[in-house]
Amino acid sequence: MVKLGKDMRSVSIVGVGCTPFCDFEEHPETQGIGEGEAFGYAALEAIADAGLEPRDIQYFYHGAANPFMINDCITPNMQVADWFGVRGIGSVAHSEACCTGYVALQEAVMAVASGTYDVVLSGAVDLASTLPVEHAPSHIRQPFPLEVMLPSLDKIYDRAYGRPLDGAFGISFDNWINEYRMTYDLSDDQIDQALNGLSKVLRKAAVAHPLGYYDQDYDQVAAEKGLASADEFLASMFNPKVTMYLRVSGFETKCSGASALVVMPTEKALALGVPHTPIEVLGTGSSAFEAGLASNERQGTTTAIKEVYELTGVSPDEVDLFMCNDFFLASEIVAAEECGYIPRGEAWQYAIDGRTAYWGDKPINPHGGRCNFGHAHGASGLADVYEAVKQMRGEAGPTQIEKRPETALLRGFGGSQNVRCQILRTVS
Amino acid sequence: MLLKDMEPIVKKFYEGLEEGVYYARKCQECGAVEFPPHLACNTCGYHGTEWVEVSGHGKLLNFTIPGIQNDKPHLKEHGKYGYGTVELDEGCQYTFVVYGLSKKKAADVRAKIMAGETVGVHAKTIDRPQYKELVFELD
Repeated sequence: MVKLGKDMRSVSIVGVGCTPFCDFEEHPETQGIGEGEAFGYAALEAIADAGLEPRDIQYFYHGAANPFMINDCITPNMQVADWFGVRGIGSVAHSEACCTGYVALQEAVMAVASGTYDVVLSGAVDLASTLPVEHAPSHIRQPFPLEVMLPSLDKIYDRAYGRPLDGAFGISFDNWINEYRMTYDLSDDQIDQALNGLSKVLRKAAVAHPLGYYDQDYDQVAAEKGLASADEFLASMFNPKVTMYLRVSGFETKCSGASALVVMPTEKALALGVPHTPIEVLGTGSSAFEAGLASNERQGTTTAIKEVYELTGVSPDEVDLFMCNDFFLASEIVAAEECGYIPRGEAWQYAIDGRTAYWGDKPINPHGGRCNFGHAHGASGLADVYEAVKQMRGEAGPTQIEKRPETALLRGFGGSQNVRCQILRTVS
Repeated sequence: MLLKDMEPIVKKFYEGLEEGVYYARKCQECGAVEFPPHLACNTCGYHGTEWVEVSGHGKLLNFTIPGIQNDKPHLKEHGKYGYGTVELDEGCQYTFVVYGLSKKKAADVRAKIMAGETVGVHAKTIDRPQYKELVFELD
């Protein structure tokens, strides 16, 4: 087991929970679910998964991407504790936009690694399909159209220069894949085929996954439109390019969801004989480059992945599963190479050949990723951790990858762009 | 966690208010009542609770009378009121708006509480935009 540093101790994930990623308002079973209930359901699942009761939790973290707007609150941790039976224990709320879920894991691990606490829960929730109604109880919600969401994204960017000078928002979707295309002298069509290749396999994963947003793969969508195949649909006017490289299928599917995990010292987990194999968090590499800075996502990923490999001593060829925040779909290609998961210059071809599918030899996001599994903003990073843990236990069901992974790497980012690279390993 | 394993709790609570029913959750281990209802038990920290109806009757444990900083016009429309801690007959405590309290009555009600006498309260609702608000009133 890796020791994180002087006076610190090894920490493992012992429980995970995740709600479906969907629009709760569209399903009769969940219409009216609020943030507290959603967080509570994910938290209680994680606690039960660890073989514990709420009374065993000593401290918890609450994550949300934008609680003021999307949860109609400033202190969300204060408002969820009672839902899962931990009234009175210490807690804190944090918000790092779409990087929230990865920071959630990092902070919980540090709380235990430091020796401050033994059993910590970290969860996140965003009901991003709809918006709360001010001054009304949490079950009353209203539509949350893109016309309302897009202007709010402006607040992600630096007020001094990044926002007023307008470049940051415009460039962030395409800048890294554009660099990649120039580096390897690829054509527009090659990039388009690669991204559509990803969309095909990721959508199939999300349809197969019991918690995923969609119930139709792209072949079925194409048939409904009278088209011959997924390839034809994805390249058609029904799926237009909305940036220089990204089609509609290359952007997030905004939805609602909550996810949570429980961590404890690895030695304690082994001594207790927790119900599932503990998954050790070997380490986190961190970086943050504001969006106005050149190639911010690439620079952040380069910095964070170097840090986590140095910290843990893990080499890229040991990684069996790569989880990647892909709400700009091209991230899967460029980040997979930057993290050493796929040889440089080849990921675009891997994507076309379907090798990154959950049934492929280099699986990425076997749950379908942000564009297909769904993106509940702050909760998505912990949903990635949930998926990685289920895969590592061999409990991922229909989307279980062929070789049960022993080492998983997560590359998370968000908030233009806060980056975390995290390595998980099955405790043997 | 699947959709079928989830249930909107807050929604049922407010739907109950529309029908004059007060829904709570009872711990399946220690029997404590969560009111307003939550998923798990905050008395003993057990995960499992189940729906029960509570009486809507209880006693006032303490109260304050609003001043200009914490007076709300929409509450005043329904009469004189205070803010108080109510313990339901089923044992759970929460803070509510309590009608029937006023500056004039405050000394008398406070004296009764301090003397250990029971100051009974019962639930009722007032209309708010899109929902009914649960408040209490002196018996």
